[in-house]
Amino acid sequence: MEEILSKIAHCVEFGKVNKAAPYPPDMKGLDGADELTREALDSGVKADVILKQALVEGMDRVGKKFSEKKIFIPQMLMSAKAMNAAIEHLKPYFKSGEVQRKGKFIIATVQGDLHDIGKNLVKMSIEGAGWEVIDLGVDVKVEKLLAAIEENPGAKIGLSALLTTTMGNMKDAVAAIKSKYPNNEVLIGGAPVNDDFRKQIGADYYAPDPQGVVAHLNK
Amino acid sequence: MNHKDRFLATVENAPVDKPASWLGLPIPLAEPALLKHFKVKSIDELKKFINDDIYPIEVPYNFPPSNHIACAFNFAKVNHLDKPDERTLTAPGFFEDYNDVADIEKFNWPDPSKYLDREESKRRAKAIDKDYARMGILWSAHFQDACSAFGMEQALMVMLTNPDMFQAVIDRITDFYLKANEIFYESTKGYLDAVLIGNDFGSQTGLMVDPAMLSEFVFTGTKKLIDQAKSYGLKVMHHSCGSIFPIIDDLINLGADIIHPIQALAEGMDAPNLKKHFDKKVCFCGGVDAQYLLVSGAPDMVSRKVKELVELFPTGLIVSPSHEAILPDIPPANIEALFGTLNR
Repeated sequence: MEEILSKIAHCVEFGKVNKAAPYPPDMKGLDGADELTREALDSGVKADVILKQALVEGMDRVGKKFSEKKIFIPQMLMSAKAMNAAIEHLKPYFKSGEVQRKGKFIIATVQGDLHDIGKNLVKMSIEGAGWEVIDLGVDVKVEKLLAAIEENPGAKIGLSALLTTTMGNMKDAVAAIKSKYPNNEVLIGGAPVNDDFRKQIGADYYAPDPQGVVAHLNK
Repeated sequence: MNHKDRFLATVENAPVDKPASWLGLPIPLAEPALLKHFKVKSIDELKKFINDDIYPIEVPYNFPPSNHIACAFNFAKVNHLDKPDERTLTAPGFFEDYNDVADIEKFNWPDPSKYLDREESKRRAKAIDKDYARMGILWSAHFQDACSAFGMEQALMVMLTNPDMFQAVIDRITDFYLKANEIFYESTKGYLDAVLIGNDFGSQTGLMVDPAMLSEFVFTGTKKLIDQAKSYGLKVMHHSCGSIFPIIDDLINLGADIIHPIQALAEGMDAPNLKKHFDKKVCFCGGVDAQYLLVSGAPDMVSRKVKELVELFPTGLIVSPSHEAILPDIPPANIEALFGTLNR
């Protein structure tokens, strides 16, 4: 069992999606996360074991390498794609409740801001850490955020802004969330955002990169 | 020294009578407050008032609805107005589902000669006082457009999974810009001193793509664009937002004269670090933080920062906000502090 888990983690780490995938070149023709996950399930490996010991493990290595600038966005995207290929096989187990994720995380780029690559990288990393992510997209109004929190009690919330001109909207969103749901943790990120700004607007946590968010959630 | 002499001396890291400067490009929403604050009727008047050295010339490109050369390619998969900044790079692009290099012919590639107005280019350039450093704002963002052609996330993965496809698309985009720029340079011959080209390669904390991949896929085009500009005797300002410290040497080797906008708070991009590693190797433009200082700082803080920058770079730095677009959240008093300090 450990061998196949190790192989799946390796596929996630290096972005090997499936057998047909040409990337990475040194794994050409080999099974990818897709085939290996199916094989593991068919041979009786529990879905939650695959999630924790292969997928989360693989994405954890990816997050660390990304933080250390050993890999960059293209490689991280390939890893997320490999992880998603594996997750497809686990979906029935999420649905049946046999596999529990760590919790729910609502993520959005704030109103007025259309930038999403940073948000998407955080989303991939959090999913890879075993969380269910509800992605509300870009230019998200406060009302939509509040509705999502209402539907997902206890969810943590992640807000992103790239423009200095939309930081005010982030402040308004945090105020609205905290006024109605004071116990829901709100995390913020984005190029112009920092920990001083987090304190000013009453958010709970700021991380400069995806791995920082994952490390905080894993505490 | 007149504006142009000051600009050219700064680019050459030679002594100047006062630090060179560039206001940048105020977006329309920011203009009313600036005009009111400085009691002027136009951005032209404002530039004279603050003694700015660089005069930008936008490319007249008649391709509605944007009429902007940065929106020359209709890559959007769904209906979109295609105004600058209104379509995200990650939105699905025309080539999202194509894998074969031959498929690049399926796109309706624009011919810049149909849209780029030669007469208006010349008129715009000729209208500017020759004592200014007259800079064409060409962008020629071949990497960003290649990202847009697939959708950014897809494009970055295609670089790994189907490198020939990515290369074919970015090469075709580069060819478009080489043709467009040739038309602009020919039309403005004798009335142009510099060009601004570039792509965003950096995030706040580092490069988005590793230097080896940039070198493999992107820099060949960058080199062609720079060489072309230099063949017209122009100084090249290369723009990239974000933390690009690891590729500054590459950009210098590619022939960039000026690195813009030195996003001051991005990792490794603080002025002392750049001075330490690249002193006199290249000229920089930018440095006055537009993420925090110009937006939320007080005028005296801006003034202090400008003095620090000038002490560090008596030449070799065109002092400018660390983002070319002046947004409406920057108080005009801080712009006044920036230029007032330079002019004192």
